Amino acid sequence: MKPVVHCVTADAAVAAFVRAALKGLVLKFYPSAGKLLRAWKGAGLAVIDAGLPDMGGGDLVAVLRGAPATAASLLVLTGAGAYSPAAAAACFDSGADEYFSFPPDPALFRARLLNLLARGARPARPAKPAEYAFGRLRVSPEARTASVGGAALKLTALEFDLLLYFLRNQGRVVSRSVLLEQVWRQDSPAGARAVDKRIEALRRRLGRSFGAKIRTVFGLGYIFKL
Amino acid sequence: MKPRPKVLVVDDEPDYLRIAARIAAKAGCFVITAPAALEGVRLASSEKPDMILLDVGLPDISGFEAARRIRRDPALARVPIIFFTVRSEVDMVSEGLGLGAAGYVLKPFDPDELLRRIKAAVSPA
Repeated sequence: MKPVVHCVTADAAVAAFVRAALKGLVLKFYPSAGKLLRAWKGAGLAVIDAGLPDMGGGDLVAVLRGAPATAASLLVLTGAGAYSPAAAAACFDSGADEYFSFPPDPALFRARLLNLLARGARPARPAKPAEYAFGRLRVSPEARTASVGGAALKLTALEFDLLLYFLRNQGRVVSRSVLLEQVWRQDSPAGARAVDKRIEALRRRLGRSFGAKIRTVFGLGYIFKL
Repeated sequence: MKPRPKVLVVDDEPDYLRIAARIAAKAGCFVITAPAALEGVRLASSEKPDMILLDVGLPDISGFEAARRIRRDPALARVPIIFFTVRSEVDMVSEGLGLGAAGYVLKPFDPDELLRRIKAAVSPA
């Protein structure tokens, strides 16, 4: 049986591009994330327009990749104006396999998609990458090591968890209470002040250029933007 | 001059309530807030907001149930609702969007993305 390519887009130009570039393949189109999710069985391959009316592309990738049934490869197409390396990194982090600025070269798009299909369905895998690399900053969640320009950072377990949480949620506002819950993992007596102190320490350890990427959003919490 | 759109934000987590309210205000909206679902349903019925930003995991009833109750009011049958939640299971998202939600935003969120979605919901093209 031929694998199905599920394409979710509300944009006629994107649909027309996909139809032309993927001639000969079995295609199914959905006008919204809601429609795709209702039909989702987890197989095949999904082409996701990042500019959907009801959901962000990165959020939809996270939802699909998080589903135990998902064995499909996930491709994201983003509007040319919306493209940014940080948005692309966030999509890959959520579990995307490919990321294209629209319109990509049709032949290249087709070749890369066929390549993913040829590898076939594989068992659902966790979304977490083996290593984060942002310029000189490298972080390995499994080895629990972090380095800047090859020099290992000395981080406490809590600081490492904090860094990892920021990397996995880059570009998103995280409040102190969410950090206490997700990183400290308890309704601990540690209060907002403890979070501030630990983040100050983490900034120092990351050094000037990366430390400054953890920005304080006054009254709200923090945002990590690369 | 057109009055500012009125947005109701419902979330039991004070930080998120504050962040979302601030972003809605930045979108040019007049913001009212509720820290629980039933209070949100009551406020919706008395205030008739132009848009609702609704958490899903609320302590009294779920955001989905709140959305159903809100929509029973004929004046609010078509009010845009954006769910705003950590719940990312396919079934949950599908149920939320199946309720006719205008959007579904995962927490923690990108403030620019939320701002875009609020603006789009209060001034549909």
